[in-house]
Amino acid sequence: MAPKPPTDDELNTLIRARLALLGIDLDQLPPGTAPDPVTGAPGRETALASLRSFLRTTVLPLGTYRFGPDHSLAQQTAPPLLYPSITEAWTR
Amino acid sequence: MTEPQRVDRRAFLARTAALGAGAALPAIASATPVSATTAPPDVEPRSRDLTELTIAEAATLIRRGRLDPNDLLAAYRARIDRFDGVYQAFNHVAETQRPKRGVLHGIPLAIKDNYFTAGIPTTVNSFLFEGFTPPYDATAVARLRAAGAVLVGKTQMGPLATTRATTPDGRITTVNAWAPNRPEVDPGGSSTGTATAVAGRMAAGGTGTQTGGSITAPSNAQNLTGLKPTMGRVSLHGIVPLSYTRDHPGPLARDAMDAAILLSTMAGADPADPRTQGLPRVPDLVTAATPVRGRLRWPTRIGVLPGYTADPFRKSFIDTLANVRGVTIVEVPLPEEWDPLTGGAFNNVRLPERSEPFLPYLATDLRKFGVSVLGWLQGALLGANEYLIGQRAKTLLLERVLTDTFGRCDVVVQTGPVPFDILGLPELALPIGFTADGLPVGAILGGQPFAEDRLLSIAAAYQAVTDWHHRRPADPTGATIRAAGRLTAEQVAQTMQ
Repeated sequence: MAPKPPTDDELNTLIRARLALLGIDLDQLPPGTAPDPVTGAPGRETALASLRSFLRTTVLPLGTYRFGPDHSLAQQTAPPLLYPSITEAWTR
Repeated sequence: MTEPQRVDRRAFLARTAALGAGAALPAIASATPVSATTAPPDVEPRSRDLTELTIAEAATLIRRGRLDPNDLLAAYRARIDRFDGVYQAFNHVAETQRPKRGVLHGIPLAIKDNYFTAGIPTTVNSFLFEGFTPPYDATAVARLRAAGAVLVGKTQMGPLATTRATTPDGRITTVNAWAPNRPEVDPGGSSTGTATAVAGRMAAGGTGTQTGGSITAPSNAQNLTGLKPTMGRVSLHGIVPLSYTRDHPGPLARDAMDAAILLSTMAGADPADPRTQGLPRVPDLVTAATPVRGRLRWPTRIGVLPGYTADPFRKSFIDTLANVRGVTIVEVPLPEEWDPLTGGAFNNVRLPERSEPFLPYLATDLRKFGVSVLGWLQGALLGANEYLIGQRAKTLLLERVLTDTFGRCDVVVQTGPVPFDILGLPELALPIGFTADGLPVGAILGGQPFAEDRLLSIAAAYQAVTDWHHRRPADPTGATIRAAGRLTAEQVAQTMQ
């Protein structure tokens, strides 16, 4: 059974906590939705809304992608490559 | 000249069989390496206007002693003084330099502002890099300078290389040279400034970087020939990273020959960048870009994707190529799962590569990312599992492209730049016509790994029988700059490369 999709509040907590673990305080951005008048950086509510949308539209399709119908065999396929075109030359 | 690189099907099939049901990595074999040469050919000038000369034409006159490089630079500087207030292509015009002797002796070039330039500010058009003057040149810049090129200036770009050129706080700056009074006309991606500088005849050629179309898009938008080489062909050392695995430095030029001359100089192994090492030697790109009378240099199968020729410009392009002796047009299907593996979520796996090198800035200077900040925050949110899924998908996608696409053709048309940016495969953009209201229309060809020579040979053959690439935009009229609008952070997040 698929888990219940996270709520906005849950995602806000996730976003803030994840960024904080990396040393990023989202409160550096201006409060609310108005952008910073000097730099154009968005307000933190605007940023949170955008980041919630990003998580929903990016993590879900990646997390549910399958490399084949048989998971035991799919593990053997497509090893990760950072630079596939370079690897072609290195391994030919 | 030796046949360019192509897929070695026998090697691929052997390796696939050896690995059984697994998604084996196909192998390619390049042709026997040839000696690279960067010597440009003698090309007779088509115009007396110095800023109309191609690099090949100007270099010919300089070699013959018929053109003083100082006069050439003065002609370009005069146009910068006169028109860049409208074009806004440069964010820094360099002091006069004494050019070295070489194949590019005295050729004025525009350098995108994410390339390190020793002693010249490099801002990446961001608040974060205000006041930064690199202690050394990017390898590609060093090679261009060593070949005699003159850096006419640093070009305006999307902040941190994200979107069309704006100020760091989102105000649109650089306009399309073909529509200087219509700032709403897209000038292309983040290498906008270089494209406008070359199209507006304020530089003879220039450099760009492509992570999601930023060489091919501005080239198509501004009637230029742009070449995004295979990942590793040109060193990334000294170029501010946007996405490590997808940033491709390359030239924007007026025709295939100029692109070949510039790439020949920029390319090659660099001790400072391991991605450039152990790769096929740079082939003779200049010869590849030299048209052969009456035929294509190498027999080539050009793959056309389903629906591609429904567009009349593209149909005319393909029809013209089909009439070149040596060209075989073949229909090729899109590889399985093409759309999901090249779009949206799978494209987004590049984003941790932009946040990681900027973590110190994200911790202390979040506002200084300006309108570009959301992409960096997005990257910080993606976990290792999603990132690995994306890297595995690249392996799978390349296998399918090499088998499903390049099993049937040598070169394939592109309907967008991103798939081959994900894979690090080469792309060449070239002009193929104009809209009814006078805006350039371009096409993109995609090639096999390290097969830039094949792409150049096709562009050269096409440009030998068409004249789109000879056309130049009219000079801007009127001294006023129209208010061009402003991009918000959300718009940047939706359109960034």
